[in-house]
Amino acid sequence: MNASLKIAVALLISLEISFTKSISLNIALIVCAIIYLLFKQVNWKLMLYSIFLPILPAFGSWSSLYFYGTGDHVHMAFVLFTRIFAYIWIGSCFTFTTNIDELLKSLEQNFRLPNTFVYGVLAAFNFLPRIAQEVKTIRLAARMRGEVLHFYSPQIFFKAILTSFNWSNNLAQAMRSHGFAEGERRTHYHVIKIPTWNWLAAAAILIAVQAFLFMSPFN
Amino acid sequence: MQATKKSSGWHLRDVIMLTLIAIFFGFIFWIWAFAYDAVAATPLKPFANDITLGAWIMAGPLAGYLLRKAGASFLGEFLAAFAEMIIGSQWGVSTLLSGLIQGIGGELGFALTGYKKWNGLSLVLSTLTSTIVTFGYDLYASGYASYSFGMLIVLFVIRFLSIGFFGGVLVAAITKLIDKAGILNR
Repeated sequence: MNASLKIAVALLISLEISFTKSISLNIALIVCAIIYLLFKQVNWKLMLYSIFLPILPAFGSWSSLYFYGTGDHVHMAFVLFTRIFAYIWIGSCFTFTTNIDELLKSLEQNFRLPNTFVYGVLAAFNFLPRIAQEVKTIRLAARMRGEVLHFYSPQIFFKAILTSFNWSNNLAQAMRSHGFAEGERRTHYHVIKIPTWNWLAAAAILIAVQAFLFMSPFN
Repeated sequence: MQATKKSSGWHLRDVIMLTLIAIFFGFIFWIWAFAYDAVAATPLKPFANDITLGAWIMAGPLAGYLLRKAGASFLGEFLAAFAEMIIGSQWGVSTLLSGLIQGIGGELGFALTGYKKWNGLSLVLSTLTSTIVTFGYDLYASGYASYSFGMLIVLFVIRFLSIGFFGGVLVAAITKLIDKAGILNR
């Protein structure tokens, strides 16, 4: 499915389950997401990651409501427990099968996002591994001077901002010198079109969720 | 550097800078999630969300202050959430939703000043609107509606303190360092 449509559907469904209180819908969504990911033959290590990652936050939410809530708090505790797993697995359907390249290109070509944003964001996201390295470097450099930087130290953020400032200047200059012009029309080597069945599938998924919500005998 | 300071439009350099900062925050958020887990593993569990929340809303006010444009705060927060999700957040796609809500919350504070003031007042307003908007969302999304009224008051105060510290005091400290370094030459 087209990347923009996929993330839109994922966002709409997760927004909906933020407000509904149906355990069965959450479970059904998790099952569908797992089937989809199996069908897409996603790496099993990533799948395991999605199973274990939400356990702590899910258990945290469950126990908070179970022990401290009032009213129908037992039901809500289980709603939240399944909701967090649903969030993770719906998210995985997007993050494990699509990359940011596809998403931004589709947003540019299909939804007319200005190219300054498309290529600016893309350029920055290509620095993701270097940013991970930079955070380590900042902390190590401070430790060499005998300072330990925590997440609440203004210095670590200050250094990060300085780096962003330098890199953004260099990157913007480099892009311009390679012929990037803001706001100009571009031609595309890789043309992205959204096939009709994508729209139909997106609508079908959203309708199925509503139908399940109203017709399911379980809550 | 181009003479883009006064312009309200978005230039390539602004977009790249905003995204780079957002990704830095994405990483810091991602690590911070383990702090949430650490608090969640103690009897302070129901308060874990509100004690740690402040750190997550930092990207918004900081981006707003740095770029001084309408929408900068919202975009900074939203892109940071997106980066966190891509890195692999334990909250999955809801990270993006929270980013959206937190972005709106932070942006409102700056919008209330008509994007004319970029000082302590707008930061305080931003922390206040962030607290109210995110709390309203959590009433539904995190099941807060099931807590007693007294508990809700306690949670609200804790959240405001957390957001006040991270989004207010810490952001002010960072911006002071930036102003002293004079890199934004305004």
